Parts: sequence; C-alpha cells; structure tokens
Amino acid sequence: MQAAKQRSWNTRLEAKQKRLEKMKGITSNRIIPTRQIVEALETLIMPGDRVVLEGNNQKQASFLSAALAQADPKKLFDLHMIMSSISRPEHLDLFEYGIASKVDFSYAGPQSLRMAQMLEDGKLTMGEIHTYVELYGRLFIDLIPSVALVAADKADSEGNLYTGPNTEETPTLVEAAGFSSGIVIAQVNELTDELPRVDIPGSWIDFVVVADKPYQLEPLFTRDPRHITDIQILQAMMVIRGIYEKHGVKSLNHGIGYNTAAIELLLPTYGESLGLKGKICRHWALNPHPTLIPAIESGWVESVHCFGGEVGMEKYVAARRDVFFTGHDGSLRSNRTLCQLAGQYAVDLFVGSSLQIDEAGNSSTVTRGRLAGFGGAPNMGHDPGGRRHSSQAWLDMMTDTDPLARGRKLVVQVVETFQNGNKPVFVESLDAAGAKADIGLETAPVMIYGQDVTHIVTEEGIAYLYKTDSMEERRQAIAAIAGVTPIGLKHDIKASEKLRREGLIALPEDLGIRRTDAKRSLLAAKNVEELVEWSEGLYEPPAKFRSW
Amino acid sequence: MKLAFVFPGQGSQKNGMLHSLPDHPAALEVLQEAREVIGENVLVLDTDKALKSTVSVQLSLLISSVAVSKAFKAEGVIPDFVAGHSAGAFGAAVMCGAMDFSDALEMVKLRGELMEQAFPSGYGMGVITGFDARTVNELAAAISSEENPVYRSNINAADQVTISGSIPGIKEVLDQAGQRGARTAELLNVSVPSHCPLLNSVGDSLYDKLASVNIRVPYIPYAANRTARLLRDSEQIREDLAYNVSHPVRWYEISSLLCEHGTRLLIEMPPGNVLTTLNKRTLPGARSVSVDENGLDNCLFLAKRFCS
Repeated sequence: MQAAKQRSWNTRLEAKQKRLEKMKGITSNRIIPTRQIVEALETLIMPGDRVVLEGNNQKQASFLSAALAQADPKKLFDLHMIMSSISRPEHLDLFEYGIASKVDFSYAGPQSLRMAQMLEDGKLTMGEIHTYVELYGRLFIDLIPSVALVAADKADSEGNLYTGPNTEETPTLVEAAGFSSGIVIAQVNELTDELPRVDIPGSWIDFVVVADKPYQLEPLFTRDPRHITDIQILQAMMVIRGIYEKHGVKSLNHGIGYNTAAIELLLPTYGESLGLKGKICRHWALNPHPTLIPAIESGWVESVHCFGGEVGMEKYVAARRDVFFTGHDGSLRSNRTLCQLAGQYAVDLFVGSSLQIDEAGNSSTVTRGRLAGFGGAPNMGHDPGGRRHSSQAWLDMMTDTDPLARGRKLVVQVVETFQNGNKPVFVESLDAAGAKADIGLETAPVMIYGQDVTHIVTEEGIAYLYKTDSMEERRQAIAAIAGVTPIGLKHDIKASEKLRREGLIALPEDLGIRRTDAKRSLLAAKNVEELVEWSEGLYEPPAKFRSW
Repeated sequence: MKLAFVFPGQGSQKNGMLHSLPDHPAALEVLQEAREVIGENVLVLDTDKALKSTVSVQLSLLISSVAVSKAFKAEGVIPDFVAGHSAGAFGAAVMCGAMDFSDALEMVKLRGELMEQAFPSGYGMGVITGFDARTVNELAAAISSEENPVYRSNINAADQVTISGSIPGIKEVLDQAGQRGARTAELLNVSVPSHCPLLNSVGDSLYDKLASVNIRVPYIPYAANRTARLLRDSEQIREDLAYNVSHPVRWYEISSLLCEHGTRLLIEMPPGNVLTTLNKRTLPGARSVSVDENGLDNCLFLAKRFCS
C-alpha cells in the first residue's frame, strides 16, 4: 500500500509541463512566431520521442515537416516517426540527417525507392507497414505519441481550428496526442478572429504557428475523362453488368484509377439503359471525385462520405448538401478514420487495382527495389469478419447452406493483363515475396490477399472467384482471364469452357456486352470541360486540368 | 521544386559535336582550357574518323558537357543535383565542384586508353527492351561461360537493360531474348564490354591514378552510378569515378531518386538526348529537356523561371 501511494500517476503530464515551461522564452501565449518554429520544435520535442507527422496522400503538414528537418541533430535525434504517408523529400531527410531513426507508416509511393534504399543502408529502422486504420488504431494502444504535428486552414487565438473540407486525419492525430499528455502543434494558413466553424477545440491544441505558405494539398483524385480508353470502358461495362447488377450492389468504395472513373461515368448512360437507377450504387465511401458529378446530377447517388476533399470541388460539394457531409458553413467535413471504417464495414463492395497478381489472386503494388506501402486499400479490400448487417450483395456471396453461413464483402480487382511497358500483371510469383528477403521484413508486403478477392475483371472477362471451391479451380479461373501473360498461357481451353458453362468465368458476350460497343461515346462526360458543365459551373478544376 | 543537370555517356557522341557548341564565352573558355591541357586542338576530336576511338569519344563528351554546364553557371543557373551516365560522371563531378576540369580531362583520357587496351576486339555491348533487370540477369547468367562471358550491365529504365561481354555470348543472349518476346534486342555500336567485371582491372588502375587527384567535397550532391545514392563525400565520389567502368550504371534508380528528392526539371547537357528520352518515359511527373534539342537559351529561360 505504501509503495502505491508514493507512485506518481502523472509522469507524462509532469514531463509535458516541464517542456511547456521551457517555451516561455519563445512565446507567452499559444502562438509560435513563424520564424522561431525550428527553435520551438527543438524545445518541445525530446530525443527518442514518438512524433506523429500529419500527411496522407493529399494534405501535408509541409511547413512543420520542413522545419523539423532543419532541427539540429545534436539536439534532436532518434525520433520515432509515425507517418501515414511518406510523400515529401524531407520526410526521409529526417533519417538521412540523423534526426529520426525509426518509422511506422502506411504509404510511401512518392518516396518508395528511397524507402527501400535507406532500409538497405540501415539508415532507418522499420516498425511496420500498416494500413491507415491500423496505424490510427495503434496511436491509441502501443504507439501513443509524445508529439503530434498537424495542419489546419485557420485558427483563432484560443487555438480552435478550422480544417475546412480537408479535415482528413487531423482529429484522430490530435486526439491521440492531446488526451495522452502529448504535445499538439498545428500549422495554419491563417490566424483569424472568427472561424467559419470549429472542427477541433482549442483546449486540445497546445501551440499554433502560421505557416510561411499554405499546407501542401494535391488534387490527386482527379481523373481527366479524356484519358479513359475503350478497354477501360469495356471493363466498366462488365463490372456494372456482371457484378453490380448481378449482385445488387448498393454501397461501395472505388479506387482512383481511370477504370473506376469509367464506371462512374457510365452510370448515367450505360447504367441508365439497363434500368439500374435506384437499384445499384446509391451510397458511396469516396472522395469527391469530379467524375462522380454526372452520376450525382442525374440522381444516381444518394450519399457520399469522404476520406478527404478534392481541390476544385469545394463549391460543388457545398451546393449538394443532401449528398455530402457538410458543416453549417457549407464546407465538406471529411474524416479519414471514419470513412476508412465505413469503407471497411459498411459498404458492400470495393473495387481496386494492382500492379501484380499471382496465380492464387494475391496482389501487391510493391515491385523490386520499391517499397510503396499500402495506404487504405487492404482495409477496403478485405472481408471484415466482424460485419453483421446483411445486404443483398453481401448475402449473395454465400455459397453453402450451413445454417450459420454468413455473407461476404465483395472485393473486386480490375486490371488489364499487361501494364504499360509490356509488363505482365499476372505473374508466377509476386515481387513482394522477394522484397521480404531483400529488405528483411517479417512478412511479404502483400496488399490484398487472394482469399479476400471475390472477383477479378480483365479485358478478357470476369472470374467469379467466390464460387470456386478449391485452389485448383481458383487457379484455373484466374488463368482463364489472364490473357497471354505467363499465368494466362497455362490455361486449359477445355477447363475454361467448363468454368464458363458453370458460371465461374464470364466473357463479355456471356454478359450481353458487345466488345465493339465499348466506346468513349458512352461516357457521360468526355473531358473536364463537360464535367464543369454537368456541375453547372460549380466545379472549379485546378489549372493543370484546364484545356480551354 | 528542384533542378538537376544530367551528363550523357558514350553512345551520345555525334560528328561535329564540339563545333556545334553554343557560342557562349564560358563555353569557349572551356574549349581553350581543354586545348591547353591536352596539348592539341580539341576540334579534331569530333570527326567521324576520330570518334572511332573511345578516347576521342569520351574526351569530346566531357568537353561539350562541361562547356555548356559552365555557360549555365555563368548565367547564374546552378542545379540542385548532378548525375552523369558512365563517362558522363566526370562532367557531373566537375559541375558539382568535386573535381577540376583539367584533372577530369586527364582521367577521362586515361580511362579511354585503358578501356581500348583491355579488349581490342571481339567484345562489346547489347541492349534489350521489354524485360526487367532480373529477367536479363537470368538470361545472361544461363548463357555466360568462361570462353564467352556475358553479363547484365546497365539498368537504363525498368524495361531497358544492357548486356556486356564477348560478341558470341551477347548474340546468344539477344537471340534468346528475342525468342522470349523482348520488344528489341540489338547489338550496340560499342567495342568495349563496359560496366561488367571484365573491366575490373581498368577500375583498379583508374583508382590508383585517382588517388593522387584532388577530389573535394561537392557543393551540390552527386548521384553515384554504382550505388544510385546521392553522394556528398569526396572519397565516395573518387570510388564511383574509378569503378563505374566495371559496375552497372543504375540510371533508372538514379533518375527516380532525383525525382523523389523533389527534382521537377532535368536538363541534359550536350551532346544528344539519350538520357532525356529515357527520363521522359520513366519520370512522367518531371520535365526533361536537352540542350541539343531545345537550345541553350530556351533551357536557360526554363531553368530561371523554374528556379525563381
């Protein structure tokens, strides 16, 4: 009893207060002068700290990351960085300069070569490669942050934050640090007396700093319909007919490829001609893609919850409040964590794509010497065993009569059999298997495991993998639609005919689709200008997408 | 947004390349300095006949690329990174301040001479497009023998890889690659099996000679041929300059690395546009231009607007 009384239960809080005490030389309120940010970071952060740095595939706390990279490695070293997305050069400079030594992350697409090189050179120690929600989850369990560095649009003098349409992961990161005696520093574009709305209360924020320029925000999810090909249109027709209509898919999440943009743009034309409005694609977990505008305008889409925003879509979203989640100021309220959970549990179907698929249907975007990570795809692209709510599509995946049988989420991969540069997508073994040995990972960086995939769509046809009842049958079904890749060349014509008769694969003609009908003229909008017209001028595309 | 200068290697040479350099005082100064160091009029190096010798080729490449990079410097354009392909590494080393031009001339001359002496005939290089490095590695390893050695050498792009070795060995690998569906598989007009272990002794001799050359810490990072890492250390640059001759050039990784470090404009020094063509395919997110195609004035304009 005596020992328990002597123990302090506030060590984290006391440590925080000591750090705050030292800040008095820099600021007497919660506003850090812009020019003193490096000094402030050196004061507030200690060697060995776990530091969360905001940045996903869109919004980046770019001012704070650049400032941290300028810290003196004699003062700040051995930081354990936790970053959703390693996207900016200085994110890895932190390790190059010796400021940080360990990393836990989700996605490193724009720095994938350096990631692989620095691991090989022993310049950074890898925690794990996570999915987004897995990483967010660990912030509350065993990776509780000492410091969170985040980005917002505006703050007031009380530290209240307005994050605008791109709220994204800010609330989650702030919450993990703010309620565990961690320190929260927010960079803002602007300090103002009155905020349009409060997205994060000031009592969760320790310091605010006005950035020298607005946080980095990229229009990453905009796909110009001009680049959609006839093959992508053919695949989109097959998905609509052979999957959405067949299974009655009402809620879904898409990837950000041209093939899924084609699906979005075929709903008001091809989808309409099949009489499917109101029957499929009513509820979405998806960023506000501009290519979704025609489907929204023609009444296909009832609701869209968003991971993040998209540059140029602000006015459009504000004017379509029935569809999007918006605040009382009219701007979008996105939330990456909640949308990931919604996409994991609440939607019927996920459509993604991949760089490599093996004969069992495992897929990965990790190629030799490049360590890209996964982002959110594995959460979207798997069957969450915890789901209980039933829907027609989910129930449609049941293949046996066991009284305790349950449904499955539909996980669809849409790929062309060859990538650009004549590289086969269907391969005998994934490069990810080699990456495990090359980089010394405990498990191979597989993005979506074959057992979770219910359908694969190529320009050849659809494989209904959920119907297969053995690995051999699964291999045959994949080989049958793998074209002239090393896997496709193994297919046996007789076996394929049998699979076709039994409905385990379907070719376009089996779905009533004539290949010659797959033309760009089917797209509801053929270029960005037509998307603007559909939006009644509300969509304001960034300059790089304007051709007029 | 950052700027990189890239320096071409053998294969980019052209008849008259030194005669067609931009008329800029800094470039003319470089020609004059080269004349003084080599002891002859360098304008005889770029004739068809002279370019049959790898010594003239490598010297001409160095002189033209350094001449133009000094013109950029004189106009106030300094890149954030430099990278050279094979012999081009010496031009890159001069631009980043690691090496004096006069030392580079002497080293490149020696490099050419040693390469010429090492394999007078029967050896060379080939290029395969449509296969990745691993596939070409396997093909070459299966065919290589003591009598007819052949190695996978440079990785120029994800799907463009060279092989080096004896001519019969190379031809067999090219045949096999063609049969297995490579888009192209052809012999290169190079008479030395560069960038493979056959040139190990040349690398050693160059290293011995470079040991007495003054190599300094660069003021901008230099991308290494052998390791595809950015170097800021003079000793590592010395090793790269010596041994890139006997090791594969990892251009695909080098150019990707420059982009990951924030490079969005790559300017290729003369002669030619070989690296620009590769970079355009590999790096869709960056702008790649060559002084030969676009002209010095346009490239200067682009660089100034870009860096402002």
